[in-house]
Amino acid sequence: MPTVVFHKGGQTYTDVVKDNTNLVVRAGIKQFPFPHLRYECGMGKCAKCACRIIAGAEHLPPVNWKEKKQLGDRIDQGYRLACQLWLNRDIELVQDLEA
Amino acid sequence: MFINPGLPQAWNFFPPDLERAMAELMNRDEFRTALENAIKGKSANASPFSIAWAEGKLSREHLSRWAENHYHYVGPFADYLGYLYARTPDTYTEAKDFLLANMYEEEIGGDRHTDLLIRFAEACGTTRERVTNPDNMSPTTRALQSWCYAVAMREDPIVAVAGLVVGLESQVPSIYRKQTPTLREKYGFTDEEVEFFDLHIVSDEIHGERGYQIVLEHANTVDLQQRCLKICEIGAQMRLLYTTALYTDYVQDEIKLPELGLAA
Repeated sequence: MPTVVFHKGGQTYTDVVKDNTNLVVRAGIKQFPFPHLRYECGMGKCAKCACRIIAGAEHLPPVNWKEKKQLGDRIDQGYRLACQLWLNRDIELVQDLEA
Repeated sequence: MFINPGLPQAWNFFPPDLERAMAELMNRDEFRTALENAIKGKSANASPFSIAWAEGKLSREHLSRWAENHYHYVGPFADYLGYLYARTPDTYTEAKDFLLANMYEEEIGGDRHTDLLIRFAEACGTTRERVTNPDNMSPTTRALQSWCYAVAMREDPIVAVAGLVVGLESQVPSIYRKQTPTLREKYGFTDEEVEFFDLHIVSDEIHGERGYQIVLEHANTVDLQQRCLKICEIGAQMRLLYTTALYTDYVQDEIKLPELGLAA
């Protein structure tokens, strides 16, 4: 089961989640990383859930069309949309305070 | 049904009420597994229409008819939840919040989900007017829609969440996960045209999980748990019925069951 290390506003939150977990789905049912992970539409349209991957990016699926459309150049800086990611391996990510 | 081999066959029948009374209260994990199994047995993935879809055998006309029907089943989903929300006791604050969040996301959290369905329908060759016209839904679709309204208005609210959200909505990600790649690869739709399906993989997963949380938390008696299991089964049967009718109403003259690997 993947360990998720989530950074925001200088704080670090860590938990182990089940395989094939989507962090926005978890936040949507008020489980870790709730209430820290910001999200809104849950459909890859608003980019509020954008996070920069610090470690484990190599285990993620390729960037999809919604991420390309929403994130543009930020993809090169390591940003992904959390709502588009199902996690099966350890990951460390940070979310900016401002969307 | 419980079978006691020591009894004559005619005695080996316990009416459903007695079966419920004889069941035991399940913990959350056991209950979740039981709910998942109740849905799995009648999954709409097994219907000829779904199989033909997954195998890339449907025409754009078939998919147009699907969209014209599907609109009338999923279009009122926030309405179903609205009736249910109003009947949920005010002490169930988190359950009500979850229902409200589902309604918000369905309608105005991002793009309205039905608008994305219409975008797909138009890509298939039909029109917004045809999709929104209730005269274009089949009697079976009307039955499914009516059942959803009846459950939302009449069932115990927790049982209704089990039927509508766990039994119906939570099935969607597994169905669309199977169907969406096919829409791109075999039918040649663009990413934008099939966005309705993409978003449902994420949003219905959230919605379905919220449904599970409500039911696992509040179905706290044997009777409630058994009623939730039963309505999940019925919900899955209703969806299977609806999907099967799509095949018989619009597809069977052109694609026979043996072509789908099914017995005629």
